[in-house]
Amino acid sequence: MTFDYKGYAGQYLRVDLTKGEMKKEPLPSWMAKHYIGGTGFAARVLWDELKPQTNPLSPENSLVMAVGPATGALSPSSGRFMMASKSPLTGIWGESHCGGHFGPELKYAGYDMIIFHGRSEKPVYLYVDDDWVEFKDASHLWGKDTKETTGQVREEVGDETVKVSCIGLAGENLVKYAAVMTDFYRAAGRTGMGAVMGSKNLKAVAVRGTKGVEVADPERYMEVMDEVLYQNTEGPWAEPAQSSLGTYGTPNLVAVINAIGRLPTKNHWTGYYEDAEKISGAVIRSKHRVARDSCFSCMIQCKYVSTVDSGLYAGTFSGGPEYESVFALGSNCLVNDIEAILHANMLCNLYGIDTISAGKCISFAMECYEHGILSEKEADGLDLRWGNGEALTALIHKIAHREGLGDLLAEGVRGASQRMGKGSEEFAMHIKGLEISGQDCRAHKSVGCTHATSVRGADHLRSLSCIDEQGFYEAAAERFGVDKAEEICNLLSEKYKGYIVKDQEDLYAVVDSVLMCKYGTMWPPMYYLDFIAKLLPPLTGMEEYGSVKEVRLAAERICNLRRCFNVREGITRKDEDLPPRFKEEPMPNGRAKGEVCNLQPMLDEYYEARGWDEATALPFRDTLERVGLKEVADQLELTGKVLKRIVGK
Amino acid sequence: MKTRKLLALDPGKCTNCRICELACSFYHYKSFNPRRSRISVLRNDEKCVSIPTVCHHCDRPLCQEACAVEAIYRDEATGAMVIDYDKCMGCNLCFTACPFGGISIDPLSMMVVKCDLCDGDPWCAKYCVRKAVEYVRADKAGIQRKRAGFEKISKLMPLIMKE
Repeated sequence: MTFDYKGYAGQYLRVDLTKGEMKKEPLPSWMAKHYIGGTGFAARVLWDELKPQTNPLSPENSLVMAVGPATGALSPSSGRFMMASKSPLTGIWGESHCGGHFGPELKYAGYDMIIFHGRSEKPVYLYVDDDWVEFKDASHLWGKDTKETTGQVREEVGDETVKVSCIGLAGENLVKYAAVMTDFYRAAGRTGMGAVMGSKNLKAVAVRGTKGVEVADPERYMEVMDEVLYQNTEGPWAEPAQSSLGTYGTPNLVAVINAIGRLPTKNHWTGYYEDAEKISGAVIRSKHRVARDSCFSCMIQCKYVSTVDSGLYAGTFSGGPEYESVFALGSNCLVNDIEAILHANMLCNLYGIDTISAGKCISFAMECYEHGILSEKEADGLDLRWGNGEALTALIHKIAHREGLGDLLAEGVRGASQRMGKGSEEFAMHIKGLEISGQDCRAHKSVGCTHATSVRGADHLRSLSCIDEQGFYEAAAERFGVDKAEEICNLLSEKYKGYIVKDQEDLYAVVDSVLMCKYGTMWPPMYYLDFIAKLLPPLTGMEEYGSVKEVRLAAERICNLRRCFNVREGITRKDEDLPPRFKEEPMPNGRAKGEVCNLQPMLDEYYEARGWDEATALPFRDTLERVGLKEVADQLELTGKVLKRIVGK
Repeated sequence: MKTRKLLALDPGKCTNCRICELACSFYHYKSFNPRRSRISVLRNDEKCVSIPTVCHHCDRPLCQEACAVEAIYRDEATGAMVIDYDKCMGCNLCFTACPFGGISIDPLSMMVVKCDLCDGDPWCAKYCVRKAVEYVRADKAGIQRKRAGFEKISKLMPLIMKE
């Protein structure tokens, strides 16, 4: 079997769990050409195959696991894969990416993608060994945590190098933000992909591959790789990356972000945490870290393993914690006990729970408790006062088991507040149903636009900009013009921020399709669209992607298609909004004291740059046609969800 | 005096990124395929320990001694122990003889394969950003190890000095 382009396996796997059938299908070359891989593939598949208003936890929902052309081919930080489905947490586009070693193994086994349909009658796991694919009974694994499951699957298939992605108890119990865990500590955390797996009775996917990946122009490709090596060892970003991410991992950000007053604290009451030092990367490094770790094919290597040796949480041992986990389970709940945070992080990894959403659900409960909306009885007798680390870990057990208050919180803050009522909606910090990630838009204005417009809900990984955050004047001038650069570098100004969010969304869409990490693209800003244009042609042989314009067009195609998925599900401009707290309650302290986020002008800029209608946040037909999505426009027109641009506007 | 170079491996620095495996397989097969790599990172996930393993090109190679048809010989230019596939009869005894797993079975050809030092410029070392694999003069490698040990001890020096 030969595929038109290199860098691809040229084949994907379609698995029907209801019928217990699987089929290998050739990857259409237009998929590679128009959608590159990863999130691009998923966008096309979910748009084509899901009916609008599909129940995310029903057999009718599809689950995509995809890799990109860079996966397994030495490209920088490319040991990744992604999962996508209609999210049970948000009811819209769900997508989550994951590092580790699983993605490359899938490619080496000969697949660019697996699409799961249906629901198995009994728990199963899928074992892929190159061309050999089989369902295996998982009844005995049901109820087991992710560590045990991974170990046992490896033992059963008789190869300890097999890569396993699996769910824990949370996924089985359909906790709406259940994660899929890979290689023990790497998570596809957000938007509840674990719950989708659970709903399909799919406990795990195990892969082993021996096929390798070839590139179109080996010599030219290795020249690019040599440049990558230089950038990571001697280039201007090598030292900054290693002295921060390399030395402390992502928790390095705790101190950095607290300094700019953007560290979510007390359920987003403020962005400044006075005890930030106690939960900082430095503390974790000096007292708890035991080993440095890395995802496959990464030169930055921000991963660590940490332990707690004594005290209440003795015996804690897990990967991470990452910045987002430290903030969500720490400052966000006013928990300054790093050992409690490490333990909570381990529990989330074992149960397979997204740490961000879990932390946000717990802080929601704590704030409701503070305001008397949630009584001690309703809290199952737990003392939910701010900062109670024991309550934090107790609630994670309850959420995973869906027990008492945990059953309510397992619905996510939107679902929980809807069920609770009594004004609790005010404390449900989410956008489009997704709990807000570790930024505060009052201290970093473009984040407001990032969170509001992000295709999977309030999240940083679709379009967060570091250009304004770090004041990269040169990058700002180069990308947006010298006249705008100064204003862009002003963290507290809303001006032009809609444009940079659109630009970042394009960049990340293509990075999420080629499939590299945000580290290297988001920060340090080593790889921009021009790097992708340098990488793709020698990798794949698609010479047209040697032009930044073409790369941008593909990025816009993917962004538009994902947004159209949400439009089809009923999302409009009113959904792309911030919780009132950010718009009305001035930041009480920290460097951004007194600030609120003025979202509307940024949204106007964003929709204008996207070529979508500013009033409704619906797409214009000419925009969709320009990026090659005419048939998508035709389909949306049936329900009046695509607009004709009025000439002159 | 002839200086010998060796692949100095340091499990303490290895993070399991496996770029060495990618580089090795690509050098030899123009295909990124860790399972065809001659260097492998052995990993204990539970303990988070990663150990790069590769042929040591021993001074008294057991693989060579085990070979009945003298298919394994030392390449004079690079000092690497290499396999002459015209002679190799596929008995796999070299694989059995090596106590370090320096010889592996290629999953595609099913033949024994081993590190050949990439004709004197080993790619595994070239692309290892953590320097867990280094291609250095044997005597220098020894000094490096001593220095690393010394640095650990020197951290304790202030404590010793105080007494």
